[in-house]
Amino acid sequence: MSLLFIVPILFVFLISLTNYNLGTPLDQVKFLGLDHYIRLFTDTQSGFFHSIYLSLMFTIFGVLLQLVIGMACALLLNFEFRLKALVIGCLIIPIAMTPSVSSQIWKLLFNKEFGAINYLLEHTLGFTVSWMDADHAFLSVLIATVWQYTPFVTLMLYAGLRSLPESPYEAAKIEGANRFQTFFYITLPMMRQLIVLCLLLRTIDMLKVFDIPYVLTQGGPGNATQLLGLLIYDTGFGEANFVGRASAMAVVLIIIVSLFSLVLFRTMAKGRED
Amino acid sequence: MRQKAIKKGLGRTFLYLALFLICLISIFPYLWMVIVSLKEKVLVYQPGVIFFSPTFVNYVNVFKLHDLDSYMINSAIIAILNCLVSLVLGSMTAYSLARHKFRGRETTAFFLTFIKILPSVASMIPIFVIASLLKVLDTHALLITVYLLFNIPFTVLIMRGFFEEIPVELEEAALIDGCNHFQTMLKVVVPLAAPGMAATAIFCVINAWNEFTFAMLLTTYESSTVPTIVQIFKTVSGIVWGEMAAVGTVATLPVIVFAMIVQKHMVRGLSFGAVKG
Repeated sequence: MSLLFIVPILFVFLISLTNYNLGTPLDQVKFLGLDHYIRLFTDTQSGFFHSIYLSLMFTIFGVLLQLVIGMACALLLNFEFRLKALVIGCLIIPIAMTPSVSSQIWKLLFNKEFGAINYLLEHTLGFTVSWMDADHAFLSVLIATVWQYTPFVTLMLYAGLRSLPESPYEAAKIEGANRFQTFFYITLPMMRQLIVLCLLLRTIDMLKVFDIPYVLTQGGPGNATQLLGLLIYDTGFGEANFVGRASAMAVVLIIIVSLFSLVLFRTMAKGRED
Repeated sequence: MRQKAIKKGLGRTFLYLALFLICLISIFPYLWMVIVSLKEKVLVYQPGVIFFSPTFVNYVNVFKLHDLDSYMINSAIIAILNCLVSLVLGSMTAYSLARHKFRGRETTAFFLTFIKILPSVASMIPIFVIASLLKVLDTHALLITVYLLFNIPFTVLIMRGFFEEIPVELEEAALIDGCNHFQTMLKVVVPLAAPGMAATAIFCVINAWNEFTFAMLLTTYESSTVPTIVQIFKTVSGIVWGEMAAVGTVATLPVIVFAMIVQKHMVRGLSFGAVKG
């Protein structure tokens, strides 16, 4: 099992030290040492830093939005009301809908001339937005991603809310705590473990997101949405086929993701012991 | 009293309004896709037209021209087999993590999660190179194996919480009553963990069915899965929206229906046993 995981990483690392490109005969592969890494970090024109910056922004805003909206929806769901199964059914649609397909649909919805969103905007608020231009493409990808993954967060947090014990709430009621106090002093601390897990899963997925931006914008226009995953793909499998350099980028991405998850995983292991 | 009743009524109205909005936003893209799939080509470019006489020509086209059925069969084979293997291997791992205290338990758990964090674009490179050396590109077995990479850790993550919730006493009782370990597992543990397994199964199927990155790179035709089909509709004159939407509707239907059926387990499984009551 661990082999399955170590082999690919070692392999990526090894390739990143050579000049291997797809189709290079094996006897011409040369060992380059850290050349790729040095070039990545010294060449400011390559767009590598730009991609890292985009990926970090995308992850931070995306995860925050998903958690906040997800929590709000979960709290609403936690009220007793009729037709709850129907609401949950609606929430399942984004979870189950194939991201590559839904991104295509978002592309249609975001279309400047015949997209449904601009149509609605024009007829209710009287203005339109060109969603796919350099200024808005990042926002569009973010919206599509948040739409796709927030319901997962919602259901996860809702499941957590359902399994909370009742007694602290009764005590709080007797003590005369209001809703906000109850939420911040009882619900949040008890949900801590689950929220951290949620953060962990979502951060990992957001850092390595590929299919939604790939289908929606292909990293464009220009490199406005060239997230790290897309950059690696383009470098390694696009027109250029620089597998070696792409591997070096992949190693950097692996390191970023690992750092984030290590911190969150520590927090979780700590909570488990308490 | 009366003021309170009014306040409560207002609260209710607000609640239902908010819930309605949530539902609308959640289903809007899907709804739009279904609408577009029933439109004729010209109407696609007129978003204001909602009432029209539906046409099924897009659906006929995608099965006739684009072999949608073969994509669906590939997806089904890969998703189901992958799900079964993940469940068996993942549950066994999760069980031992939950029950046996051994040195490096948390480290093992971390490394398992770590497999999940490997970005697909990063593992793509070695997997592609290895697969092309082994000459297994474009086979079902390859995709099934690759998907195990992230579905097994996911299974372990969910199932560990579920196994920890099962009281050890029940298993000890079964052992005293003369069951061997295998029987205890099969007759006591598995039935109790069944809801968790159901939840895990759903997500494994969804993950495998919807995966795009590897499917696009590692297959050409023989084992191409549904998500890769979106690539086909980019033509010189733009995207053929009607057919694209028809494909999307058919392709996402099985998973959505499946998810709806097992809704209850799905929600329960998502608490990951991480909230201790």
